[in-house]
Amino acid sequence: MSTTGNYVRTLLDDVLSLQGRALNFADDTPLLGAIPELDSMAVVSLITAIEQHFGLALADDEIDGSVFATVGSLVALVDRALAS
Amino acid sequence: MTVQATRLAPFFLTAPAGRLHCQYVAPLGAARGGVLYVHPFAEESNKSRRMAIEQARALAAEGWGVLMPDLTGCGDSSGDFGDATWQVWLDDIALARNWLQRELPQPIWFWGLRLGALLAGELLAAEPANVQGLLLWQPVLSGRQQLQQFLRLKSGAEWVAGAAASTTGAALPGPLQILESGRSVEVAGYSVHPQLAAGMSLATLALPPATCRLACFEVNPNLQPELTPAIRRWLSTEPTRLNAVVAAVQGPSFWQTQEIEMAPSLIDATTRIFAA
Repeated sequence: MSTTGNYVRTLLDDVLSLQGRALNFADDTPLLGAIPELDSMAVVSLITAIEQHFGLALADDEIDGSVFATVGSLVALVDRALAS
Repeated sequence: MTVQATRLAPFFLTAPAGRLHCQYVAPLGAARGGVLYVHPFAEESNKSRRMAIEQARALAAEGWGVLMPDLTGCGDSSGDFGDATWQVWLDDIALARNWLQRELPQPIWFWGLRLGALLAGELLAAEPANVQGLLLWQPVLSGRQQLQQFLRLKSGAEWVAGAAASTTGAALPGPLQILESGRSVEVAGYSVHPQLAAGMSLATLALPPATCRLACFEVNPNLQPELTPAIRRWLSTEPTRLNAVVAAVQGPSFWQTQEIEMAPSLIDATTRIFAA
């Protein structure tokens, strides 16, 4: 598992108060719609936490619902942003 | 470790807009000075209330009187959140400061969490007299960044609803443009006054004067937490500052977590400063 993947899982776990459950999520573990804690406020907190942790400024047009479909799609967003 | 119960005394201060609800945690034993707490923005203040009270109790046990006002439109103070402006909040804090400085003779500490750090810092810069220290918890360095992140809650609702990413054409102004045109915006149940947004957008955190002690903590869930690059840059403008304690401690982002959470390592690190 990449370091980015580890960090994203830690941030997910922290923002959603999942008590460590997120640390074992697979890349294809579904998020939006599958985890009730992931509401619009949590989604924004998550993006903010990702921005602050990785030192990124994500534009709103880089983000839509599909980014939060699975753990893997979220990690892919971060990898894309870090690479650019 | 004292097990005496700390006294929480709620009261109201008369402000131009109405009444400010204040909680005062009285010092145990001989008083060493006062601490004025400035709470964070919107939901963050609700989520962090338990942490703040617990820290206040720990400070009181070391002889510090802690005043915790609810700003206009927040908590149990009068006024609607939608009527709050940046200047109203600065005036609220100044009012609370006057009370604290009449209550205890020593120079005070300002203690700000998140946006509270920006507000405290701005008041300190304007009136530095009689302040011995600035305690910052996870400070917001740029009011504009916090405002934009808050306004993003509107987009967040769209992402969750599954709507396509909103493309704001010329016909559909975003919340920032609406505020800049002088109108309020409703976000996540909070009405944001254009004068609140304007003041917030201009606010940046200044380092306190050299004579003022600085204690700055960030909280991070990593087992080996590190300070954010942003805070490091902020501090780097004065690399030889002597009377500063700056550290990252391990714990949850309690001002924004879904459940109310506590960060005991932050309380320990903070209390050590005031126990010395």
